[in-house]
Amino acid sequence: MDDKNFNDIDININDYDIVLKIKDENDIAVSRQMAKSFAQKNNFSLADVTKIATAVSELSRNIYRYAKEGYIYIKKKETEPDKDVSIEIIAYDRGPGIENVEQAVAGGYTTSERSLGLGLSGIRRLIDSFYIKSEVGKGTVVMAEKRRRRF
Amino acid sequence: MKDVVISRLGELVEGLAKKDEQKKAWEDFLVEFAEVCGKSDLKEKLKAPISNLLDRISEKELSDGIELLHEKLDNFPTVDVYKAIIEALGKKNDEYLVKIAELRDVLSELSTPIIHLWQDVLLAPVIGTLDSQRAQNMAEKLLENIADTRAKVVIVDVTGVSMIDTIVGEFLIEMFSAVKLLGSDVILTGIKPEIAHTLVKLGIDFNMVIIKRDLESALKYTIGKFSKGTEKKQSNTKRGDIDEN
Ligand SMILES: Nc1ncnc2c1ncn2[C@@H]1O[C@H](COP(=O)(O)OP(=O)(O)O)[C@@H](O)[C@H]1O
Ligand SMILES: [Mg+2]
Repeated sequence: MDDKNFNDIDININDYDIVLKIKDENDIAVSRQMAKSFAQKNNFSLADVTKIATAVSELSRNIYRYAKEGYIYIKKKETEPDKDVSIEIIAYDRGPGIENVEQAVAGGYTTSERSLGLGLSGIRRLIDSFYIKSEVGKGTVVMAEKRRRRF
Repeated sequence: MKDVVISRLGELVEGLAKKDEQKKAWEDFLVEFAEVCGKSDLKEKLKAPISNLLDRISEKELSDGIELLHEKLDNFPTVDVYKAIIEALGKKNDEYLVKIAELRDVLSELSTPIIHLWQDVLLAPVIGTLDSQRAQNMAEKLLENIADTRAKVVIVDVTGVSMIDTIVGEFLIEMFSAVKLLGSDVILTGIKPEIAHTLVKLGIDFNMVIIKRDLESALKYTIGKFSKGTEKKQSNTKRGDIDEN
């Protein structure tokens, strides 16, 4: 088993409702669909379900594109039962890492041909809190959290 | 072993399950088991009874049941039974994987139709998820169709698309540019509110094309545009009542 420690982030697989290995292109669609169902099941609004699914789709594609393989972890967080619910998404890989994280997150920066470089910057605007840690030669961890809005 | 199992069949079944359905499943298994136990190559012979059993009870019920048989019957071939279980589960898993792979193929075969609405107008309804292969096929087919039909307007309808992420957005933008290079106009329809939200956040816009709420508005617009062109030659009375939505 891989050591899931990546610097200061400690991921305990057992804490997560969904653990998905991303290794071929089909896994991207699977991860997106699972994120969507999970958010729907937890009563997120349609707009937020779509945002969560889109964010997961971007993260999975980055793993597949740049790191070849990695993991998506998804879990529900709540302060008290059914109060202040949020969904946390972690994308983890031991790929090449990002040289200039600031640039990558700012948007418009891409190392792939025919791409817009809007993934990471977009995720940041789609969700409520965002954390990224990346080291060249070690890998990348992105953590994203979306809170459930009250109606 | 065979005789013991058969003579204690009733008692064992009672202990193994509560519901009639499960009892019957265990009973059938024990009868088949009694038939083969003691024979050589036991594990191989157990595979069929085990997978029949697995079709009828859960994995948990199975392992609890085996534990009980292990306790109640002297010389119960627990190791062979477990080997057979693991292999049966492995086979089941393989079957699922094949099924999943086949379903994937079915999905990717879902071709994107291109409909020749009338003389100068093509309709391309986009449905489901666009992976790179499907996107590629669709773009090629559309461009070929435009070249063949010399269509002036292409309506791309995304009502059937549940999510547009950056890769799908990029694909659409590229396809629109290519269509325009062939000299046709693009009308994009059917963007759902939740997708509009997401697109704004992603910073993707489709300002290179005409956007209409739905197919109806797109058709009205197209008709208006064409009739404007033809009627101008005859009279100018029809101007101004074109639905721009
Ligand atoms: N998991 C990752 N591993 C390595 N590099 C990454 C990873 N995710 C993103 N990057 C880098 O950050 C850049 C920006 O990513 P993103 O915003 O998703 O845009 P895009 O994927 O369109 O390039 C990528 O081009 C790539 O260089
Ligand atoms: Mg990306």
